[in-house]
Amino acid sequence: MIVYAAFAVIAGLLVGLSRQINGRLALSTSAMESSFWNHFVGFVFITGVALIIGGLFAGEPQESPWWAYLGGPIGVIFIAAGSWLIPRIGAAQTAMLIIAGQMISGVVLDIVMGAPGSQWVRAFGVALILAGMWVARGAPKKN
Amino acid sequence: MWRQCCPTCSLFPIAPQHKIGDACLMENTSLSPKPFHFAAAFGAGGLLTLMILCNGTLATYGSLFFASWVPHLAGSIVALILLMALRSGRATKARPPIWAYLGGVSGGITVMLTSATMNTALALSGTIALGLAGQVLFSLFADVRGLFGLPQRMPSQRDYISLTLIIAGSLVLIFFGGEA
Repeated sequence: MIVYAAFAVIAGLLVGLSRQINGRLALSTSAMESSFWNHFVGFVFITGVALIIGGLFAGEPQESPWWAYLGGPIGVIFIAAGSWLIPRIGAAQTAMLIIAGQMISGVVLDIVMGAPGSQWVRAFGVALILAGMWVARGAPKKN
Repeated sequence: MWRQCCPTCSLFPIAPQHKIGDACLMENTSLSPKPFHFAAAFGAGGLLTLMILCNGTLATYGSLFFASWVPHLAGSIVALILLMALRSGRATKARPPIWAYLGGVSGGITVMLTSATMNTALALSGTIALGLAGQVLFSLFADVRGLFGLPQRMPSQRDYISLTLIIAGSLVLIFFGGEA
């Protein structure tokens, strides 16, 4: 169990690592080029691992709805945005604002799709996140 | 690492042809989010939700490899088209270090780790919560040290307060927000 907990934390560390490295590439190139290399190198890497382990086309992937294939194009904009932001507002603020956006949009999606859950708990969670964003956007610290 | 960097634009090593103002990040003097940065990061979080919805749907029909392989392939093609359409060119003539191209490997390993933990007692909620912890710890450390040639930035007390509030709200939503 502790191994899996460690895996989950490491996965989070790697998200930050990836954003940091892509941000460095964007400084020398551009946010879009950084997004391209992120996807292309990731594609080559996953292809390699999938060839070793196998099972890439297991299941019924042809049955998935057409819109499920839009994850890639959305990811292009997402990675480009992260690469552009991280040298400008820092890794911590990039991470926490993305997390805030992810959580609040997740609540909106849950409500739209009619997922079960307490509206009061959702309102409380969203209020805490909005309070955090309100604190973050205060006056800049004087150097 | 920071000390080797150009103090204005944080690039390292400083390109010989580099001029102040040329691809420089003048905002670095006060790394406080401006409204546009704020909206862009928040909007990127919204895109992440849609991306997870799409890729998660692929994973219910095909394998987890497929659900990561397809978006990387489609993303490569779309990014290449956008890159050619934008013709933005490179910010500097200095070549980036070779490791700067390896961000995608880190992303690929992330997919494999999370697909391993999602089916344990941690479930999706535990995987996301611990992942947020890892992401926040890394980003704070990266800012303090200016890791990988990005600007060094000391988190302020304000940052820690907002970080605590956002993480607390996220944990409330992850563990109590839905009756899965």
